[in-house]
Amino acid sequence: MPSGTTAGPRPVRIEVSGLTKTFGTVRAVSDLGFTVEPGSVTGFLGPNGAGKTTTLRMVLGLITPDTGTATFDGVPYGALREPVRTVGAVLETAFHPARSGRDHLRVYCRAAGIPVARADEVLERVGLATAGRRRAGGYSLGMRQRLALATALLGDPPVLVLDEPANGLDPEGILWLRGFLRHLAHDEGRTVLVSSHLLAEMEQTADRVVIVGAGRLVRQGSIAELRSGAQGAGTVLVRSPEADRLVAVLATAGLAATRSEDGLVTVEGATPALVGARAFAAQVELHELRAESTGLEDLYFRLTAGQEQFAAGSPAGPAQYTTQGAAR
Amino acid sequence: MTALVRAEWTKLLTTRVWIGLVLGACLMAGGFAALFTGLAGAEQNGGQPGLPAVGTPQYEEIVFSVAANASVFLLILGIIGMTQEYRHRTATPTFLTTPRRGRVVAAKLLAYAAAAVPVALLVLAVDVVVVLLYAGARGAAPSLDGDNLRTLGAAGLVLVVFAVIGVGIGALLRNQVGAIVGSLVYLYVVEPIISSIGAIQGAYKWLPGGAVQAITSDFQAPELLAPWQGVVLLLGYGLVAALLGSLLAVRRDVV
Repeated sequence: MPSGTTAGPRPVRIEVSGLTKTFGTVRAVSDLGFTVEPGSVTGFLGPNGAGKTTTLRMVLGLITPDTGTATFDGVPYGALREPVRTVGAVLETAFHPARSGRDHLRVYCRAAGIPVARADEVLERVGLATAGRRRAGGYSLGMRQRLALATALLGDPPVLVLDEPANGLDPEGILWLRGFLRHLAHDEGRTVLVSSHLLAEMEQTADRVVIVGAGRLVRQGSIAELRSGAQGAGTVLVRSPEADRLVAVLATAGLAATRSEDGLVTVEGATPALVGARAFAAQVELHELRAESTGLEDLYFRLTAGQEQFAAGSPAGPAQYTTQGAAR
Repeated sequence: MTALVRAEWTKLLTTRVWIGLVLGACLMAGGFAALFTGLAGAEQNGGQPGLPAVGTPQYEEIVFSVAANASVFLLILGIIGMTQEYRHRTATPTFLTTPRRGRVVAAKLLAYAAAAVPVALLVLAVDVVVVLLYAGARGAAPSLDGDNLRTLGAAGLVLVVFAVIGVGIGALLRNQVGAIVGSLVYLYVVEPIISSIGAIQGAYKWLPGGAVQAITSDFQAPELLAPWQGVVLLLGYGLVAALLGSLLAVRRDVV
């Protein structure tokens, strides 16, 4: 929930419209448009190779789109007067391995005209104060992610753009990051756009999601909207000594159930509550009843099904062709 | 721009690459000075002296010019200064901090030109000290007067311009190993071949190596430009590398 009592930075809105980018013959991003509002965490969700990184790099002016625009309160990144004080970005863990984390931050303080003392402040903020003077080459993956986040925070920007920031973090680090991003958005009113290929992570971090598959917008909306759209129905696993009777009972209720050898019954498009109620009414004994995936997960898989291979077509393309050729 | 130049100096001084390259440059200049002084006046098989004898103006021109040989280390310093951004992928935070990428390349060119000045002075000092001591021991320490000072100044200019050319090459090629290996092959294989084959020797005076020899010492060189033309040509190479490098850095996607 946006707290409303934000004395923090000015709110800045990200607007992306009609972004298209082709690398060689591969269409990485196709007519993609969405908006990111201040005061909330927006998840940019899609399978690997869906074009998330390419999109974020276009938003940040590192890749020139073929067509389309991305703006921060109407201004493209390259035209921002003080980019570092407007947008902080965590794109990849990019450091010179021989340079200390603190020196790395001081380089960008100098370049952006920020007092170098700010380097120590952000190190403190991401929990790297003690490791700051060590060579970044010796950092763990989690420490690198924290240093990348510290770099993004140097200019105290109202907007944060993060590409898979949870990669390489341990469970404790993920929990910390989740709280940190929500704090930045909800308590400080910043605009947070964070990409991930993990739906479960986004369900716990984001207020809204923008789902992409094969470089196209698949769906955008709040987590709650998507959940209600998916009606909470997913795949349910049931174990019963009377598996055959259970399948029959569920079939009369219009539920597609299949049983495997070991008596495990898989029910599609259902909730544990629904299956339990039917079994109880028919007095079928159950030994186990659980959801294998939520409706949202099913929706995500359905929306992005098969698009991963398509989007990853640049390296896989020629290989597929050869396979087809060999099959003929 | 001052802020960006200072940021580049911070980048340069917060890793240790520069120490090795400066030491290498000093060793090379001092080593060649000692070698040429040691061999000065020694007779070749035919009875002719291979190198002019200590005390002659020709000897002094050669032995003060050898400082310019260390330019390869400044070239590598410039190449690494630019290509490390791509090699360690720091081009991303660098261009995020300064989206007008031409300014980044311009700042690097200025920063490395300025940083090359004290390095060049150090290299010249090593050359001069070695020559004064060794040639002095052999009976005729050169005086640091008009001609010799001009030779030293020319060698220093070559050293600085090569650092600038290195930044330009780095921006053009982006691949660190490729840029360094390519430059070494060019300097030590391609140019010597061109300068020694009669039919294409005429082209040598237009190459960077030819320009360097025109500026510093024309000892055993084929036909060369006048010294001032060499200066213009060498600066031209630095400028072209810098401009092309900037243009490409601005246009290319940073993926």
